Amino acid sequence: MTGSIVVGYTATDAGADALALGIRLARSIDAHLDLVIVLPPAGTRSASVVPPERAFEDHVRAQAEEWLRAAIAEVPADVRSLGHVRFNESFAEGIIAAGEEFDARLLVVGAANGSTLGRHRLGSVASELVHSSPIPVALAPAGSRRNADADAPIPRVTAAVGTRAGADVLLDAAVRLAAAARGTLRLVSLVPFDVPAGLDTGTISLVQNAHGDDVLAQVRAALPDGVSAEVERAAGDSVEDAVAHLRWHPGEVVLVGSSRLAQPRRLFLGSTAAKMLHELPVPMIVVPRTRAEAGEN
Amino acid sequence: MSSIDRATMPEAGVTTGISRKGLSVGTVGVLGALVMGISCIAPAYTYTAGIGGAVGAVGFQVPAILLLGFIPMLLVAFGYRELNKVMPDSGTSFTWATRAFGPYVGWMAGWGLIVATILVLSNLAGIAVDFLFLLIAQISGDETIAGITRNPFVNVAVCLIFVALAAWVSYRDVSTSQKLQYGLVAFQLAILVLFSVMAIVETVQGGAFEANLPEFAWFNPFEIQGGLSMIVMGLSASVFMFWGWDVTLTMNEEAKDPERTPGRAAMLTVISIIAIYLLLTVSSLMYSGIGDKGLGLTNEDIGGNVFFALSGPVMGGLAFLLSLAVLTSSASSLQSTFISPARTLLAMGHYGAMPRRFAGVSPRFFTPGYATIASAVVAGGFYAVMRFLSEDALWDTILALGMMICFYYGITALSCVWYFRRQWFDSGKDFFFKFASPLVGGVILLVLFVITAVDSLAPDYGSIAIGADANGEGGIGIVFFIGVGLLLFGAVLMLVQRIFAPAFFRGETLGVDAPPSTRRG
Repeated sequence: MTGSIVVGYTATDAGADALALGIRLARSIDAHLDLVIVLPPAGTRSASVVPPERAFEDHVRAQAEEWLRAAIAEVPADVRSLGHVRFNESFAEGIIAAGEEFDARLLVVGAANGSTLGRHRLGSVASELVHSSPIPVALAPAGSRRNADADAPIPRVTAAVGTRAGADVLLDAAVRLAAAARGTLRLVSLVPFDVPAGLDTGTISLVQNAHGDDVLAQVRAALPDGVSAEVERAAGDSVEDAVAHLRWHPGEVVLVGSSRLAQPRRLFLGSTAAKMLHELPVPMIVVPRTRAEAGEN
Repeated sequence: MSSIDRATMPEAGVTTGISRKGLSVGTVGVLGALVMGISCIAPAYTYTAGIGGAVGAVGFQVPAILLLGFIPMLLVAFGYRELNKVMPDSGTSFTWATRAFGPYVGWMAGWGLIVATILVLSNLAGIAVDFLFLLIAQISGDETIAGITRNPFVNVAVCLIFVALAAWVSYRDVSTSQKLQYGLVAFQLAILVLFSVMAIVETVQGGAFEANLPEFAWFNPFEIQGGLSMIVMGLSASVFMFWGWDVTLTMNEEAKDPERTPGRAAMLTVISIIAIYLLLTVSSLMYSGIGDKGLGLTNEDIGGNVFFALSGPVMGGLAFLLSLAVLTSSASSLQSTFISPARTLLAMGHYGAMPRRFAGVSPRFFTPGYATIASAVVAGGFYAVMRFLSEDALWDTILALGMMICFYYGITALSCVWYFRRQWFDSGKDFFFKFASPLVGGVILLVLFVITAVDSLAPDYGSIAIGADANGEGGIGIVFFIGVGLLLFGAVLMLVQRIFAPAFFRGETLGVDAPPSTRRG
């Protein structure tokens, strides 16, 4: 697998987190990196208070290029990387536009500044991305830049499967990623928690056992020939609890599907996935519900 | 012809794709530019802060001095526009003066701009504090609250909060909605007109403090009593009141129609501003007169903040609207004013005229972070010191501010003349915009600067004299210390910087230049 991974870069800790994850993913799937800084065009914010000024914009652009050069110098030589400055009023929109421009297979952004170390807390940019991107989005938890296993390949890909539409696309993406990274595959069922609110606990636990196993069996059956996967049923009282009890390999990544609320070919982070995010100590990749165009060809 | 030296920008060592897509070319229309111009001037704020000084100098001839003071500002603005066309740069005056006259003059011009904007930042915040308490008093009906602003500790504390808030907004580049900005400007103008109408009605009905009927002589500059010094003092106040107007004129590629938008917007802004100032001055002269007691406009106790004293008597129950207008106008002006020193400091840092870290851009918000915070700290600190030195700090700052504006505008105008020296006779237009206008405007402003500087030595210039003897006699007026003192301080800083980073002063980062004539043969 080749192609481009777009890293939404800023010269901050969150940007470094995203870059570190981007490098690891690029190595695993043999892609190259496009580092993109998105700048606000002069005069779009506080228009009518501050006159737009091309000269200041030029200064900021030069600074951004410097940041990109410094970042690219840090990327190991075996990963090909390019830097780009793009202008857009919204950082997220700019990243998506760059992803489409480079036909990217994946967008990578860091968690918001100020989140607890090793955990996700969606910042405004990441949140906008996972709710609108047509391209899979990888979220780097805070502290990714300091991980000792940053150079290690991805040992295992976990796909969090539910019953909802999109599971086949998710499964497919997980299989391909695991194959490309030469890692193993794990399927985790979050079905018990993927039920409508308001059901009484008795019903839930009934559904939990029967339905959960059922879905995993189905999913397993749907795996292509020659692909094996470990299957695990997350146990706990809540999504958060279940995720917290799962064991993770260092360097592992989790794939989740987009919610059915999403527009076709757009992401929408569902409530289950959003709850998972709070507890995940590993990077999470959100995959669109229907097959993405970008990266498919 | 683009003559700005980009040699200082390091070239890309790595492929860096640059897309100009989405750039803000042609985003500002006439209405947008008009709103921007008016909110930069912030007439409600400028009037309340500046009119007392103008009346103190020229009495009833304030309308005349306002019209007169506009002339050099207009002439200089033409020069600004020419420079901005060929050398768009965040450093404006600093960069242009360096290109024309070399690093030392350039440095001082940049310093003048920074000092002026820092002075006005502290003054804006000070006015905002007064009106915050006045507004609370008017709404709650408890008049004692308005007096809290006289407690220097509370006053300084609240002022520092204002400055910090404005700096935070600038630093984070918090977007302000355009609708809100339009609304604020419309509100401000409406309330100012309402104030004028009410003042005139009160006067006609006999309820004025000291009723005067307007005379033609108010508009005649030859009627000014008290000689050159008074005219000069009045002009500096008037220069302050028009300061900021030129933003509309200096926009070019950002305008929707670069040929027509800036000119039309500038014209509309000027007409509205002059109209509103004339209406305000005439109505407040009619209502208050020029006595130095009570509500008289030359009363030093009210001179630094006239609306603070007049809003209640003139507008009665509606006075809170005026407080709200001044408060919002100073608050939004505080935000836009922060941009100026921050960007100049950024340019000076970039070219090595200031320590390099001033050129730093915040990696999260893409604003001149370090320079913004530095400006806020200095503006807040300056206000605190001044407020403890003198109750009438606001008025002293305005006098010093007028001086500083004359200084750096004057240098900038002459930079235009000198920079284009080979193009003076290219065409009639060139002669007028690159030579005659900026020359006359620049000379007028620099003469104003010198006369004000000399006059301000007098102990009674400004609210207090430094170095007065036990009887309060002698000494030197505080305005001289603020104005000339800060410039000298700047010169010292410049020499220190030269020791540590001489490259800029050797002309290595930003060279002197003069574009050749464009005429053939």
